[in-house]
Amino acid sequence: MAREPAPIPAELVRMAASQQRALRLSASLSTLAEALWLPQAALLAWALAGLATGRVVALSWCAGGVAAIGILRAVSGLWAAGRAEAAADAVIADTRSALLCRADRRAPEAAAPSSAATAALLVDKIEMLRPYLLRWHPVRARVAVMPLLILSVSTGLSWAAGLILAISGPVIPMFMALIGLAARDAAKRQMDEISDLNALMLDRIGALVDIRLLGARRAMLADFTLRADRLRARTMAVLRVAFLSGAVLELFAALGVAMMAVFVGFTLLGALDFGTWGRDLGLAEAIFLLLMAPAYFQPLRDMAAAWHDRIAAQAVARDLLADAAVPVPAILGAGHAGRALAGTVTTHGLVLRGHALPDLIIAPGEGVALTGPSGAGKSALLLAIAGLLPGYGALRIDGVPLGQSNADDWRAALALIPQKPHFRDVSLREELTSGRPATPGAIADALRLADAQGIVARLPDGLETRLGESGAGVSGGEARRLTIARAALRRPALILADEPTADLDDGTAEAVIAGLLEMHRKGATLVAASHDARLIKALPRRIEVGR
Amino acid sequence: MTPLLTIATLFWRDQRRAILRGFALSAAVALSGIMLLALSGWFILAAGMAGLAGLGTVFDVFRPSAGIRFLAIARTGSRYGERLATHDATLKVLAGLRVRLLDGLSRADFTLQSRLRGGQALNRLTADVDALDGLAIRLVFPLLALLIAALAVLTGLWLLVAPSVALWVAGATFSGAVAVLAWAGKAAFGPSSEAEARRQALRSATVDHLRGRDWLAVAGRLTAARETVLSQDRRARAAALAQARIEHRATAALQAAGAMTLAGTLWLAGRLAMQAQITAPQAALAVFAALAMGELALALQRGIAELGRMRGAAARIAPLLEPRSAPAAPDVSGPAGLALTCLAVAAAPGLPPVVTGLDLSVAPGETVALKGVSGRGKTSLLNAVAGLVPPVQGEIRRGGTIGYLTQRPALVAGSLRDTLRMAAPAASETDLRAVLDCCRLDLPLDHVLGEGGAGLSGGQARRLALARVLIQRPGILLLDEPTEGLDARTAARVLHGIRDWLPDAAILIAAHRLAEIRFAGRTLDLDLQDSAA
Repeated sequence: MAREPAPIPAELVRMAASQQRALRLSASLSTLAEALWLPQAALLAWALAGLATGRVVALSWCAGGVAAIGILRAVSGLWAAGRAEAAADAVIADTRSALLCRADRRAPEAAAPSSAATAALLVDKIEMLRPYLLRWHPVRARVAVMPLLILSVSTGLSWAAGLILAISGPVIPMFMALIGLAARDAAKRQMDEISDLNALMLDRIGALVDIRLLGARRAMLADFTLRADRLRARTMAVLRVAFLSGAVLELFAALGVAMMAVFVGFTLLGALDFGTWGRDLGLAEAIFLLLMAPAYFQPLRDMAAAWHDRIAAQAVARDLLADAAVPVPAILGAGHAGRALAGTVTTHGLVLRGHALPDLIIAPGEGVALTGPSGAGKSALLLAIAGLLPGYGALRIDGVPLGQSNADDWRAALALIPQKPHFRDVSLREELTSGRPATPGAIADALRLADAQGIVARLPDGLETRLGESGAGVSGGEARRLTIARAALRRPALILADEPTADLDDGTAEAVIAGLLEMHRKGATLVAASHDARLIKALPRRIEVGR
Repeated sequence: MTPLLTIATLFWRDQRRAILRGFALSAAVALSGIMLLALSGWFILAAGMAGLAGLGTVFDVFRPSAGIRFLAIARTGSRYGERLATHDATLKVLAGLRVRLLDGLSRADFTLQSRLRGGQALNRLTADVDALDGLAIRLVFPLLALLIAALAVLTGLWLLVAPSVALWVAGATFSGAVAVLAWAGKAAFGPSSEAEARRQALRSATVDHLRGRDWLAVAGRLTAARETVLSQDRRARAAALAQARIEHRATAALQAAGAMTLAGTLWLAGRLAMQAQITAPQAALAVFAALAMGELALALQRGIAELGRMRGAAARIAPLLEPRSAPAAPDVSGPAGLALTCLAVAAAPGLPPVVTGLDLSVAPGETVALKGVSGRGKTSLLNAVAGLVPPVQGEIRRGGTIGYLTQRPALVAGSLRDTLRMAAPAASETDLRAVLDCCRLDLPLDHVLGEGGAGLSGGQARRLALARVLIQRPGILLLDEPTEGLDARTAARVLHGIRDWLPDAAILIAAHRLAEIRFAGRTLDLDLQDSAA
């Protein structure tokens, strides 16, 4: 049995640590519900034996007792589930908030997991902790308590009955290994199959338009059917072996119950006269023993059923550990509002993403073009100046190193114009003002400066339009002009623009350059990474990166 | 409940044999389990009474104990068969559902298909399909097995014990389970839809937040925006808790119903035994059968827990599975070349037109470039010519098959050969290699791509997509920014390669770069077109 590396179970324990008490209470309640079967079974046995021996039985009381204990079991099970559910909820809340906090402070590096992958982990995969905490935890407690309890009670009634169960005793660790082996392979293979099949389907759905244009609809369907069937056949081959080990387990349990029935039956008939501590085995005791035998194996079978939850939780823990180990540093500062701080930027011996960058001094009010081949580190330099990309070497503002304590204040004075604009799923007004109060006049000025009034006028709800993924669309050039307006509204002391005119047609590019230069003329420092000759020519200073 | 029924019907139609086999074996497991417990109970009591009466030596122990051993082994064996059969059925259903879904989506219109390219919509879709996987194995099989068991218990106890006891055990168990199922299905639907919607909202909010994190940090709003996402999380978790509460109550209700049934059986059979209408072993048989039935009903627990989720998923998936005809291929019977008359097109049906009153003809062997600022309607025009969206007004006459390299073509996993063969199943190896040469793509045909064409650079992917179009030798070729991502020299060579490959095609290019405009014999400026109109 292959053991998973130790950090994963440890991570699961760590995640649940804060809810240890609630989980323990839930496990105890669930064990109690299971253990209440003993008195319930005893009552049943006593009543049935009474019927057989002609003893007067208070039938209504017995039936009432059986029902009452049964309802008590259901209620304590419900209580246990409620406790575990609340604990799972708390664990999920903590894990989510920690993951989100780590992910959103991550520097914008290629090695950072994609937003979609992080969201899938944060929303859907973390949910897998719920069944794990709800089912696996209590079942583990039941496995630890119930077989021992039943074994000792049964042995008290008849050592031979105890022996029958105890024969399965040493077999239990073997059972566990078997369950593990069988269920692990089966569950893993089935999950793999689902994810393979999903990947295959998603791949095709993503290309549906192309498939339609190529007239390959039927061929694609036939091919998908074939591949899906091949996947199924392979999965079944693995499952067959896994289920066989499961069947061995079931056989042990079934034979244990059958042996108990036969032993008890023969003892009652008087054919066997050993194993009962020298006294006669009463009919009630006999029935009780028979009822105990399946209960002895039940926790183990529950465990096999919950194994899937455990594997899923381990997969989540593995993903979370991998996410924590992603070698991407966090941004400087927390990312909350600060008090604007302006100054001269100096760098010395700066190394970013493996590129050694030239030392530079940019004084307030300067206009600088960063030029050089793609991939030389121009974008990285802009991000580093914004405190979003920590690197090696020194980056100072008026001689003070940019760090945790001053990064938020420094960013309060600057605006970043990214190469690929992203508009969040909020109203355009909210996006432009970043949630700060702004007068209609200020907004109109910023839009005019970016030559973007026309864009807003065309949008269905004007400034209240949502531009996010689910909202109305603007073209790439329009989006770029809106980011200029967004930057202008901040009245920044420093503008960092990354390829502001890339992929734009001439007219749009000129409008964007004019907007940037107007802000610069009004006193803002402008640092633009660009290949565009028009923009480079318009700026007084040029720094070559990557030579 | 109707969408869920629709899906169940589809499963049934697709996989009748696999489902029947799984069902038969589930019933066998249920029956042998019940008989094992009932026979054991009867045996103990009968043996006990015989022992007390001193008849131990004449009591036939061998048949009952052989029966017990046989049932124990039969139960194990049928359980193994059941697991194999139900998993086989589930995997078949799983694949079948996906094939159907893919079929349905491949018939959908262009708007839906292009919307589906976004990762969000796809994640939702897979989550829904996964939710439906459990329908057969966790809900339908256990429910049918319970029904069969109830019928068997009804018959068995009717004949062996007493009609009243038989009616009680079978009726109380089955109706109890069905009542809980109906209640949970109804009660969980609202919370489960709400939980799903909240989860969806949290997923979108997370992606949105993370994609915007640079600007949020610069704007000093990162922590505030994170708080907003976390408040979405609180709402999502509250909805999930409400859903879970119903599931737990359903489980407890099943257990309580089982206990009541058991107690009722004890009372009913016990009274009959005390009145000497039945024997004590017969009463035991009934009690043990009730016990086994309770366990069977409890197997529904997981299916009930997922019922709400399944209903929501079915409601979203079922409309996509509705039979509809595949989109008709555009009419290509016109005189050779391409002729557009007084054409008006919109980005999507229902939106205002972006291009109006356009007249254009492209003769065979001619190349025309479309120029215009971004968002001016070049792509919409090509989409209309390709027949993806109907024109708002005017006429399109196509005199040849259409080949269309879209702005963002999607590749699928597989080798280069698979990719090209998908477009032209009958093409020869020589042709395949020639078309790659023509697109200046220097990769072996056996080169394998990952999902979505992963493993190729942007420029390589674009050229492969172009080769996939060219291999069909279309009479009319529509190219949307064909040299995007290529350096100037390669761009020029690829463009000339296209013309060499298709000397007689009418080519219409949505041009973006100078190389593309230079390559065309004629240029149509949509900006000017508009002011002229």
